Amino acid sequence: MLKLRTFKTVSLAAGALCATVLAGSLAAGAGPSTDAVIATRVAGFKKMGGAMKALNDQLKSGAPVKATMVAAAQTIAENARAQGKLFPAGSGPAAGVKTDALPNIWTDRATFDAQMAKLVTAADKLVAVANSGDAAAIGAQAKATGAVCGGCHRQFRSNT
Amino acid sequence: MLARDTSESAETKVRIWDVPVRLFHWLLVGLLGFSWWSGSQHLMDWHRLSGFTILALLLFRLYWGVVGSPTARFSYFVRGPRAVVAHLRAKEPSAPGHTPIGGWSVVAMLATLTAMVLAGLFAIDVDGLESGPLADYVSFDQGRLAAEIHHWIFNALLALVALHVLAIAFYHLHRRKNLIGPMITGRGRASATIAAPELARAWALKAVLGGVGAGLIALAVARGFRF
Repeated sequence: MLKLRTFKTVSLAAGALCATVLAGSLAAGAGPSTDAVIATRVAGFKKMGGAMKALNDQLKSGAPVKATMVAAAQTIAENARAQGKLFPAGSGPAAGVKTDALPNIWTDRATFDAQMAKLVTAADKLVAVANSGDAAAIGAQAKATGAVCGGCHRQFRSNT
Repeated sequence: MLARDTSESAETKVRIWDVPVRLFHWLLVGLLGFSWWSGSQHLMDWHRLSGFTILALLLFRLYWGVVGSPTARFSYFVRGPRAVVAHLRAKEPSAPGHTPIGGWSVVAMLATLTAMVLAGLFAIDVDGLESGPLADYVSFDQGRLAAEIHHWIFNALLALVALHVLAIAFYHLHRRKNLIGPMITGRGRASATIAAPELARAWALKAVLGGVGAGLIALAVARGFRF
């Protein structure tokens, strides 16, 4: 009798667990398009971070290669333009979605969009300065661009 | 009560920690707190400076673990499992300095701190802007991984520090033994049956040489080996 009851409890628990897992996987993302858009924007941000690192590595090296810095600045500028459009409604944090985007992106959209516009301006200026080849000026503008990144991250990104 | 009285009468006041060990300890306490604060405030110039100083301290402590006074030496306080078990069963009075378990706790803290500093040297922030001095030797993804490891190890370090403080509180309250005083004054009670260790000879000269050497190595690392 005791054994039977134990068996019932265990199978009930197992059943409940299965149901939870199933529900979780169904809720994961609001569909494939949301997952895809999150993956795209994560990849875009990673490219920008990598480009910023490449540019700073050049400055650190003491003998910066201008072409490498211009290419890095262009990568940042191109991705900055694309990133703002990769935050459609419903791609924020929800059960089963892996994103560092905070919900206030969608509740305070005007501020978020203004930050994104600021990033495009700063990145375009970085391309121009990189073309000048002036290491000190490039360093200053890289810092200014990075400050826009960091400022927005502190407002709209978790885990900073 | 009686047992405690007799054990106390069998104790004498001896010199336990030399000046370099005490300086290392309290500078590290201050710098750990400062690193934590400056890191959480995104004050990365200060965070890096604090990290480089901790690197120099660590290098010095490794050196001092070989040439320092007996209680500072790894060969003196890193003991085998038999000594640890004997200590746990309280079969023998402890020699001045780290107990067999305390010695391993020190090794664990030094190793964790070394891993923490190493990860920090290669770490880079999510913006690709702030980084350790050696981050340009690795890729962005590897640098991000280093930053995550740096962050993760900090939790392990906090746990070890908590354990360290708890052990000191245990000795203070349960064993009525003050461990904080000797780390400040250098002197404390120890069993009279065990000869008190002597200070390393010419310790001040050795300490200055070690300090300068550790500082120079830390400086080279801080500059990413670019001169």
